Amino acid sequence: MSTTPVPNGSAVGSSEGSSLPPIVGINFGNSYASIAVFTKEGVAECIANEEGERQIACAISFQGEEIYIGNQATHQLVKNAKNTITGFRNLLGKKFSEIPQSQLQSTKSAPVIQHPDIPDEPAYKVQILQPAPSPLPPSTQPSAFTTPAASQAATPRSEPVPAERILTVSEVNTMFLASLVESAENFLGKKGLGAVITVPTAFTEAQKDALEKAATDAGVHVLQLLDEAGAAAVTTTSDIWAAELPADRTQLIVDLGSSSLALTLLSIRSGLAFVLASSHTTSVGGDQIDEKLIRFFAADFTKKTKVPLAVCPATDIADQRAEARLRLAIEHTKRTISASPGAATCSVESLKDGLDYTGSINRLRFDLLARPVYSAVADAVKALLESAQVDAHHVDELVYVGGSASLPGLDEALITDAGFAEDVATPFARGTVVGGGVGDPTTVLARGCAVQGALLASIPDDERHREVRAAYQRGGKGNEVQATQRTVGVLVPGAEVKVEGGLGGVWIPVVHKETALPARRTVRFDVELAEDAPALAFEVWEVTESIRVEKITAAAEAEADEEEPEEEPEEVEVKHKEIKKEVFLGAVQMDAKLGIKTKGKSTDSGKTSTTVEVQCVIETSGALRVDVKEVGEGGAAGSLRVPAPGA
Amino acid sequence: MATIQTLPITAPVLPKGYTPPAASSSSRLSAPHPTGHRVLLPVGQAHLNHLKLALHHAHDFDSFDAHLATEREAKAKLLASEAGLEDDLGVGDEEETPELLALDPKEWKKQDHYAVLGLSKFRYKATADQIKIAHRKKVLKHHPDKKASSTPAETILGINVNTNDDAFFKCIQKAHEVLTNAEKRRQFDSVDPAFLDAEEELTSVTATEFKNKKLDFFKTFTPIFELYERFSRVQPVPGLGTIDATKAEVEGFYDFWYNFDSWRSFEWWDKEVNEGSDSRDDKRYTEKKNKSERARRKKEDTAKLRGLVDLTLSLDPRIKMIKQAEKEAREAKKAAAQPGKPAKKTKAQEEEEKRKAEEEARKKEEEEKAARAEAKKAKAAAANAAKKARRQQRAAEEAAAAS
Repeated sequence: MSTTPVPNGSAVGSSEGSSLPPIVGINFGNSYASIAVFTKEGVAECIANEEGERQIACAISFQGEEIYIGNQATHQLVKNAKNTITGFRNLLGKKFSEIPQSQLQSTKSAPVIQHPDIPDEPAYKVQILQPAPSPLPPSTQPSAFTTPAASQAATPRSEPVPAERILTVSEVNTMFLASLVESAENFLGKKGLGAVITVPTAFTEAQKDALEKAATDAGVHVLQLLDEAGAAAVTTTSDIWAAELPADRTQLIVDLGSSSLALTLLSIRSGLAFVLASSHTTSVGGDQIDEKLIRFFAADFTKKTKVPLAVCPATDIADQRAEARLRLAIEHTKRTISASPGAATCSVESLKDGLDYTGSINRLRFDLLARPVYSAVADAVKALLESAQVDAHHVDELVYVGGSASLPGLDEALITDAGFAEDVATPFARGTVVGGGVGDPTTVLARGCAVQGALLASIPDDERHREVRAAYQRGGKGNEVQATQRTVGVLVPGAEVKVEGGLGGVWIPVVHKETALPARRTVRFDVELAEDAPALAFEVWEVTESIRVEKITAAAEAEADEEEPEEEPEEVEVKHKEIKKEVFLGAVQMDAKLGIKTKGKSTDSGKTSTTVEVQCVIETSGALRVDVKEVGEGGAAGSLRVPAPGA
Repeated sequence: MATIQTLPITAPVLPKGYTPPAASSSSRLSAPHPTGHRVLLPVGQAHLNHLKLALHHAHDFDSFDAHLATEREAKAKLLASEAGLEDDLGVGDEEETPELLALDPKEWKKQDHYAVLGLSKFRYKATADQIKIAHRKKVLKHHPDKKASSTPAETILGINVNTNDDAFFKCIQKAHEVLTNAEKRRQFDSVDPAFLDAEEELTSVTATEFKNKKLDFFKTFTPIFELYERFSRVQPVPGLGTIDATKAEVEGFYDFWYNFDSWRSFEWWDKEVNEGSDSRDDKRYTEKKNKSERARRKKEDTAKLRGLVDLTLSLDPRIKMIKQAEKEAREAKKAAAQPGKPAKKTKAQEEEEKRKAEEEARKKEEEEKAARAEAKKAKAAAANAAKKARRQQRAAEEAAAAS
């Protein structure tokens, strides 16, 4: 019998076997990060790290011989703030002299210092305990002077030595990214992952270089550094996002992180996305909501216990610790507020002077507190729309990204304050935010990165696709496109609509304005037919869309319901979308062959109708081709060609 | 693959007397925003498609559509191969007709065992592994434990296919039993219903019919021999070949088929001995009957095949060609034998050699024929002897029984 021990399995993950793509999507924020991978179901999903956290705090803490990374490190902010590093992402790739003085000295975490050896390099200095050198192994050779007292046991380990450790910003980022990647590797059970990492739009090339280097040092192959807006667009253009939304839409991405607000207005044309306008500000962020909430609970604590507690800013060391404790506790409160309509509690043991605190806040009070932040966001949105010359009513969808954007109050405030249409699509309206739905603002970016990573991994690595791959590199070519100026569509002439709309029929937009060329769109709809003559006609028009503002005095409404006659007549703006015909490009006429008579007792009974398919193709030259055909075998067909402008 | 947007719109009736507005021939789309007006975010499948469209297909949608279609096909194939990681050796899934599911296990002798296991496309070619896999598949699907589901009863042609009824499962087990036993499988293959159908269809051809309808020789007879080749104990079996087969090939073919060694047997159609009867006589009587019936069938089968080979030989255009060639050779030789033609001597010699060879071959054939006839005679004699022996034995037995 063989005596060689055979290990029963191994802890090292195999690099093959599982069919999950070896991809991790990393949303690397300044305050929180999240990771997403493909699950067995074939969908990208945000996964939890070893601590069970999906929202992983960007913090590293050194406590004696231990190193804490993530949410555990934030707890160290209470008593071990000097050895806890936070906010390190934004310092990536920056020189020490470039960092403003206000960011260097922080009372909440380890300060940024000039690296002692490398010139103009920011670094952190932390106190650690270095393990003492390990003792000599017990001697195996029996000494000539073996005495009965000699022991085979190792010499006891000596005490660890206190030491100082200098870490560059890049090292800190590498440590943190490595921990994220390790979580993903453990989940997938394979090593050597490819990663797509988000970067804020404001990052400079040097910063992107630094991030890429930090990630490479952490042992991942960076496939692409993706703009946060881009990562969001990947998720929102995927099939699972919302099937009922049109493929051509204008989308506003509201990214409210803890320290900044980024707004991006995107034009999404059947999956192709480009930025119409964007803005970024660090003056608005979730931290402000935190501060207000901390002050609220501190005041409540003082009221309940008669113990003075001055926070935000706190000067006394006891107050500072109390603030740090509250800051940790309200994380839970905010999540409760986001998830459920009821009141949320905040409990801190031994907040100050050994007194416990338990308080609660309901959603109304919370929204009242956060109102200034909401308004600031709404103002920023208004400013952005104005700069892009897009009316709020032309924005079809709002997408929320970031932890603070999970608050339902923000959605409500934004729709009313910034003047969006009532029926604007939002994840809140669809109810996909809570319960790990697809619209969860905290996971949108990471999932987008994972999807993008899988897509990039699917491009074959050969000569033919070299150019394709190059387009995904930084500063890649081939992404600059031509776009249409006006919307092109078909007008189905009809009597009834003539009076009201003034267009003389039903307007069906086919290729929207700002669509990248070449473009092809196919729409399908029903057309009613006359009993005797199955004639069909489609006029092809180029149109401009505008918003007509109608002012209706509230008095008119008050008359309608006589309950409140004392209301002052107030002007209310009602916005209507308007379409103006610009250029007539031609018409397609034909006789339908496949009319079907509706039977039954419905109101449509006895009417004949047929289904037609209209396909518009606009070449890069600007030439237009319209093909109209009846759906079904042997259906009628017609087409229209409009040569390129200038031809 | 253009995505089609379906709009919930019903456009109204075209007004009577509608005339489209006059289109000026110079009306064009407004010029698009120039390149660089917008920069696409390099994200998503749509962007990748856009890139490929621009870089590989010169903005041509049709060419790109074709490319996508082939890519999709390749992907589907890959997925299928991945999904079927456990290679089922091509057993796949065959459709189960209601008639099949309604089979009565009591009538198992009449069922098509290959169809029951979903192996109709392999039949006698199915390997033991394939039978094993197919059986496992069917059992997983039709095991009575799986059938006892709470779903409402589903009926096809008035037969409840979703009950606890394990009739079809019994059929599966019977089919497995038959097909995994080499002897039973041989018996079943001998009278495989699919073979019988094909045989009936293909071998109905007669010489007159063949001539009247001016059928193609090879198209008519190749499938017949392909059908019968399964019964040969000697494999591989020479096929009918083509019109330009060599003489040796043609002769080899007829040689083989005249000496066809078949394993076909007809035990499958044996009459069952009456279950209830204990009578030894009954049993013996049935056995005897079965035996003679089997022998008769086998004889019929051999005769039929021989008839087919005869028919083929008589209609084979290659035989005619060979005979023609021989005749020409003879004449040529005759001509060469006449004096005054020395120039052709060498050729004549060649012909002579050829003729000799042919003669030898013919002689051989004749010898073989004789040998066959002898063998036949011997066989008949042996059969007679056996019969005699049996008769004697029986007589002895009867005598013993009587005493």
